[in-house]
Amino acid sequence: MPDTFKEEHMLSTTLRKPLAIAVTVVALGALAGCSSSGDAGSTDAAGGTYTWWDPYPQHEEGSDWAKRVQACGTDAGVTIERTAYDTTSLTNQALLAAQEGTSPDVILLDNPAVSTLADTGMLTTTEELGLDTSKVDSNLLAAGELDGKDYGVPVGANTLALYYNADILSAAGVDPASITSWAALTDALSKVTAAGKKGITFAGINTEEGSFQFLPWFWGAGADLSKLDSPEAVSALTLWTDWVNKGYAPQSVIGNSQNTSWEEFITGDFAFAENGTWQVNSAAEQPFKTGVIELPAVDSGVAPAPTGGEFITAPVQKDTARYDVTKEIVDCMTTPEGFVETANTFAYYIPPTSDGQDQLLEQHPDLDTWVSAVKAAKGRTSDNLGTNYPLISEQLWTAVQSSLSGASSPKDALAAAQKAAASATEGK
Amino acid sequence: MTISAAPAVRPAPDPKPSAPRPRRAKGGGTGGSRWVAVAFAAPLLAYLLAFYAYPLIRSIDLSIHDYNVRAFVQGNAEFVGLKNYIDVISSPLFGQAAWNTVVFVFGSLIFQYVLGLALAVFFRGNFRLSGILRALFLVPWLLPLIVSGSAWAWMLNSDNGIVNSFLHAFGIGQINWLTSPDTSMLAVIIANIWLGIPFNLVILYSGLQNISGDLYEAAALDGAGPWRQFWSITFPLLRPVSAITLLLGLVYTLKVVDIIWIMTSGGPANSTTTLAIWSYREAFGTGQPDLSPAAAVGNILIVIALIFGFIYLRMQRRQEQS
Amino acid sequence: MTARRPWWKTALGVVFTALMLFPVYWMVNVSFTKTADLRLSPPHLFPLDPTLDGYAEVVRQQLPNLGTSLLIGLGTVALTVVIAAPAAYAISLLNLRGGRTLNFVLLVAQMIPGVVMAMGFYAIYVRLGMLNSVWGLILADSTVAVPFGVLLFTAFMSGLPRELLQAARIDGANAWRTFTSVVMPLSRNSAITVALFAFLWAWSDFVFASTLARNSALKPVTLGIYSYIGNNTTQWNAIMATAVVASIPAAILLVVAQRYVAAGVTAGAVKD
Repeated sequence: MPDTFKEEHMLSTTLRKPLAIAVTVVALGALAGCSSSGDAGSTDAAGGTYTWWDPYPQHEEGSDWAKRVQACGTDAGVTIERTAYDTTSLTNQALLAAQEGTSPDVILLDNPAVSTLADTGMLTTTEELGLDTSKVDSNLLAAGELDGKDYGVPVGANTLALYYNADILSAAGVDPASITSWAALTDALSKVTAAGKKGITFAGINTEEGSFQFLPWFWGAGADLSKLDSPEAVSALTLWTDWVNKGYAPQSVIGNSQNTSWEEFITGDFAFAENGTWQVNSAAEQPFKTGVIELPAVDSGVAPAPTGGEFITAPVQKDTARYDVTKEIVDCMTTPEGFVETANTFAYYIPPTSDGQDQLLEQHPDLDTWVSAVKAAKGRTSDNLGTNYPLISEQLWTAVQSSLSGASSPKDALAAAQKAAASATEGK
Repeated sequence: MTISAAPAVRPAPDPKPSAPRPRRAKGGGTGGSRWVAVAFAAPLLAYLLAFYAYPLIRSIDLSIHDYNVRAFVQGNAEFVGLKNYIDVISSPLFGQAAWNTVVFVFGSLIFQYVLGLALAVFFRGNFRLSGILRALFLVPWLLPLIVSGSAWAWMLNSDNGIVNSFLHAFGIGQINWLTSPDTSMLAVIIANIWLGIPFNLVILYSGLQNISGDLYEAAALDGAGPWRQFWSITFPLLRPVSAITLLLGLVYTLKVVDIIWIMTSGGPANSTTTLAIWSYREAFGTGQPDLSPAAAVGNILIVIALIFGFIYLRMQRRQEQS
Repeated sequence: MTARRPWWKTALGVVFTALMLFPVYWMVNVSFTKTADLRLSPPHLFPLDPTLDGYAEVVRQQLPNLGTSLLIGLGTVALTVVIAAPAAYAISLLNLRGGRTLNFVLLVAQMIPGVVMAMGFYAIYVRLGMLNSVWGLILADSTVAVPFGVLLFTAFMSGLPRELLQAARIDGANAWRTFTSVVMPLSRNSAITVALFAFLWAWSDFVFASTLARNSALKPVTLGIYSYIGNNTTQWNAIMATAVVASIPAAILLVVAQRYVAAGVTAGAVKD
């Protein structure tokens, strides 16, 4: 190769490398600089921006809920930046943020998650924030309690009850008021299916929703979450399994979420649906007449149902001066009127204080069944289960699936579940 | 690791590079162009370091410590060495998950590949509408997985799904696709095959385009029928493309979580719990994120994929030497 | 193969496509179905009592999200090609030292589960302040497409005839000129294929959008869908309507791109 070639080559290489590096740096710099605003946590002191996370993505900017949140912020003298996640992602995003030290100022957490996050030390106690929780019903507050301390205030509670299709029941000659025990319910189901309709639908999916729906029957039999293989527990699971085997409940319950189960009910083919307060408006809209009764326990009486609903919590912040404003925001959301507004926005959360409940009943007297159900309800993480609850719940829904799908008998499924739960929770 | 298409049948591409510029002071040689090469690859290298190395290191870090939720937030996890891996492998679920993974991956791959290849060969002869139809085959890819997963879940619903309705019209009884441990794996494999066909179709189709039509003409003149032509010409010449398609398909299928999660969440009774689903469920599917075991399972998955990667490399080298 | 009696092939092709797209049809079916009719048994092949509620929601809320998704998709394509093509050139034609290892590393990179990547990115983005930005999402989405892009480009470029490149060099073109004037035009088909994959992957991504851009002013449509998934209730016809509307522009893009590839492939390549 002639020398000229070598010369040209050297010139090109001297320019190539720095040029490439320059381009790369500029590109990365442009990318970094082009980010729009929206950092996860502001370091402004009072008068700035406070971040708020909640699991209600269907309530967007401009919805009543969003406006109310903003209003509470404005009252406290700050702007609230609200981000909505779907419930399943919220816990993990909260953990990620806590790890990075960028927790938001307020998080609305699903109540079973409160003890888990509290255990990590990322939530403040109600004492630290100076909140007064004396008026809150203790069965509802218990869900957010860990080692004797409370870590948040419930914004409202919802729970489960038994919706029924009044038209189908009257055609089959069943009186809903007579359903006060399991035997009565199973009897009603056989009458309804004999009349050509479908019996009952519920959610048995292998996620927390499945456990949520199974618990009223589990507790209604007198069983306890610390012992999954007790005879009472077996009888509860046998009830469900028999329903599926006899055709009183469809196969699809094994994969049903609560939403799917409700969609089945509103086709008008089902006599009963186990579902929650949030479907009250949908039930009223149906072309068939609907009613609601409390879930029966095994003999006479009402089965304790688990509480749903979120707690308003305040994650720990580096700058503790922020807590004053956070307290104001929380107080604003948790006045009796505030509870009633929340109740109406989420159709229907039952307020966790008696004042709130009375006010709600004045507005909606037909919600009395639900208020009574919530008073009889139980937090899933109560009974000092706390962070053990998720581990036990996972085994519970697995056992339900196993039994309903015929993979094993109720007794074996629950025995396996108890074994797994015991080993998962030992030493905790 | 270069992938060589059929060497002797390179079609002559249009030899129209841009008009050669007059000699300028810049020139590039083959010799010292090492830095040039590095410069071209620099963005990729920086990119790899930042975006792949870091998550991978974090994943390994998660798996060799005991990151319960508290430790995750507070950052003081205890170092436990290989304990998580041992726990995972000796767990009763490991055998089932591993077996489910094998069934799921190989069941999906074989049919994705065969159907993709069959369709690619079918579309090879350009007939009317073939372009549009081929483009339409890619539509499943446009859909977010929650949409396609839910569509399949509905279609396969035991009581009100269209598939059972259709089968009923032929006198076949109700099949509990998603709610019976016997058929749930079959159901998710079918959905996954559906998802994988476009990928195989596109790659195999473009591989087919690199095979010159002259070969087929010559074979036809020699009296070979279409079946013979396929086995003697198409399949052997497509081997390198097939190999990379299968390898990539394997890597992607090992990672599949969404479609199974939406359809069955790994149930019933863990019948559709693959290693990937197990990892996901441990981390995000329960109320108590168990990140260390999840990372351990995830890393085991990466190791399995790596093994196949090495097999592929060995095959490549052997082919290049021959 | 010469085209003999193509009509039956077209008919068969239509049947295959119809079978393949049946779940997509089901999606369209659901988008017009009232919530009360979703679980009817036996199911209706055709929405007998249709509703436009889903589409009304989409028009009301989702159109800006579609624009964002388009922006992210195109951005991902651009970024992927910009990173992957030069790197592939280096590996295949410039004899990058360790090119083989690099290819293997890229394969390994694709083995990392998406969730692991997203969690890692969160940590990086928080420190760089790139959360909730469209650019951040483009960068994250490209990580799915870049390794694949490099593999595809490398495969194609290594098959280019060396005489062409030598000719260009003799004419005085340096590596960059060779790249832009010779290699890239010839690699147009691979570029289109890579662009296609990158676009499709970015268009349907949810994991990255959810972890990294939840609070962004500009949301992609996959996140927008989640406004219809409430805590306990889900509005399926709106979700499916969003998916349908989101698919239309992307499907058009697909058809156009395919035609381009087909033209590129047949011109001067295979005698047909």
